[in-house]
Amino acid sequence: MLKFYVGKFLQYFLVIVLMLTLNFLLPRLMPGNPLVFLAGEDVGFMTSEEKNEILDKHGLNDSIPQQYISYIKNIVTGDFGYSYQQKRSIADLLKERMPWTLLLAGLGLVISTIIGVMFGALSAWRRGSSTDANLLTMFMFLSAMPSFWIGMILVSIFSAQLGLFPVFGAESGWSNLTGMDRFFDILRHLVLPLTTLVLISVTNTFMIMRYSMLNVLGEDYIMMAKAKGVRDRVIKYKHAMRNALLPVATVFMLSLGFMLGGATVIETVFAYPGVGRLMFESVVSRDYPLIQATFLIITFSVVIANLLADILYPFIDPKVGGQREK
Amino acid sequence: MGKTVLSVENLSTFYKTDKGISRAVENVSFTVEEGEILGLIGESGCGKSTVAQSILRLIEYPGKVVKGKVFLHEKELISASEADLYDIRWSEISVIPQSAMNALNPVHRIGEQIMEAILIHEHVSKKEALDRTKVLLELVGIDRERWKSYPHEFSGGMKQRVAIAMALACYPKMIISDESTTGLDVLTQSQVIALLKDLQRKMNLSIILISHDLPMVTSISDKIAIMYAGKLVEWASTDDILHDARHPYSRALLDATPDLINRDKKIVSIPGTVPNLVNIKSCCRFHTRCPFAFERCKVEEPELKEVKPGHFAACFLEEENHELTYTS
Repeated sequence: MLKFYVGKFLQYFLVIVLMLTLNFLLPRLMPGNPLVFLAGEDVGFMTSEEKNEILDKHGLNDSIPQQYISYIKNIVTGDFGYSYQQKRSIADLLKERMPWTLLLAGLGLVISTIIGVMFGALSAWRRGSSTDANLLTMFMFLSAMPSFWIGMILVSIFSAQLGLFPVFGAESGWSNLTGMDRFFDILRHLVLPLTTLVLISVTNTFMIMRYSMLNVLGEDYIMMAKAKGVRDRVIKYKHAMRNALLPVATVFMLSLGFMLGGATVIETVFAYPGVGRLMFESVVSRDYPLIQATFLIITFSVVIANLLADILYPFIDPKVGGQREK
Repeated sequence: MGKTVLSVENLSTFYKTDKGISRAVENVSFTVEEGEILGLIGESGCGKSTVAQSILRLIEYPGKVVKGKVFLHEKELISASEADLYDIRWSEISVIPQSAMNALNPVHRIGEQIMEAILIHEHVSKKEALDRTKVLLELVGIDRERWKSYPHEFSGGMKQRVAIAMALACYPKMIISDESTTGLDVLTQSQVIALLKDLQRKMNLSIILISHDLPMVTSISDKIAIMYAGKLVEWASTDDILHDARHPYSRALLDATPDLINRDKKIVSIPGTVPNLVNIKSCCRFHTRCPFAFERCKVEEPELKEVKPGHFAACFLEEENHELTYTS
């Protein structure tokens, strides 16, 4: 078992090193001079001494291996560079945006998984009934709607018409709320984007759970459990659910990795200050260091989520990870 | 032999299909006595497993037991309440399933799966159940400490042994072995069969051995019932089936089986195919392939009749006293 984990860690370490190297090489392989980018239009009027000074300041006159070492050093110490458009350190920007994305996307993932699993299982248990048909139709309908459209509809009904929820943002910045007041303020801002996110992502889990549960119910061991005299309830939860959840767990782990990328569209529609919107802003304003940093963060979290999945999977599925005990 | 343990009377199980009603099992009757092994023989799709599932009332939509009675020690199962069934299943009648590979839940330890059966039916502590599980595993030739293992950590033959141990968990009097050796290599198969026979003798079990492997079944069965296209065509002692088969299908089946001792025996295949059971009309279902079929076979269904004490066959030739000889 230990060998299994050590092997996995080594694998992921290699992936991270490769990824960092690629991330380092990409901008250096791109055509054009970094000076234009660093100094802007003024570069044409600068003397070669002034140019050198700028290059020195950013360590660009060092040899490539030296640059690589300082790049790695910066990443390890959490220094992602400087955003020239936002005029701020990228690490600070990410630190500010990440909690909001974790809140929105994390809650969205958890809630949509729970709802999807519950209804997916219910649908499979009542296969062919009107409950099954209605659930299936409803979830298919939901998944067919574009997220920005749902978002806009929700805003126009609940914010504009009924005035129940705020239109944009993650909290009312100007009011300086504290304690429980601030908590409820954040919650009120969260309702609409979270609902939109759950509505568009729930069908995925629902379909996987329904299909997986149908497969499991057709397995011989379910009939065996029935022949053993096991009660239906126990069969559903102890025998069928455990097995049917395996594919859902896989998808959950994978989505966990992409979670930090945020729900770009939804964050944009609701002007929610998360990483997804940051990425959108950086792309629109061609803020290359920021683009690079956000992509790096997403890659990191995908790798970490995969590692997590690899570590946890043997506990969920005994078939994975060899023999735990003899 | 002793008293009757299981008695099946006029059992009919139909399946609803898009094209109509498939009469998968119709008017099947037989009994199994204490300590007896009954071999239930037939080709794939003839309704052997459906009979087994009907006895335990495990038939699910679109299938339905439409007629018949099943008595297990005087207790009728087809009309029994669900609650009664839960108690009867496994404690009095258990199954060694078709392909044990899939019959064990992959995410639970095999010991837990055996214990589960014990704990449902008997008021014993977990420790007692575990102790019995270990004894059962040893009984079928598996190390007692392997109860902790998961199904994927066993070979096919060992899984089959686990399935047998599980079937014995509550010391039932009656076991249905549903094609339980199909898919195993001949060596493992003979080991499993020998184990089954040994346990049957020790525990005085009654067994219904469902299979399409005639030589294997004749080697250990006391009686044999032969099914064809959802009907029981002949039911007699193994000796009678081997040497005095009355139904043309039984004869054809024997002719189609290679013989290890008489190597010169010519193997004759049965011409034609099994009829479609959807909306099948009243007739002898074998008439399309029977070399002796006459007018009556095409319009009337033969009943299972006692042709001599303890030997039943469903064929008009018996009534009409036709001589059953091949012209070829």
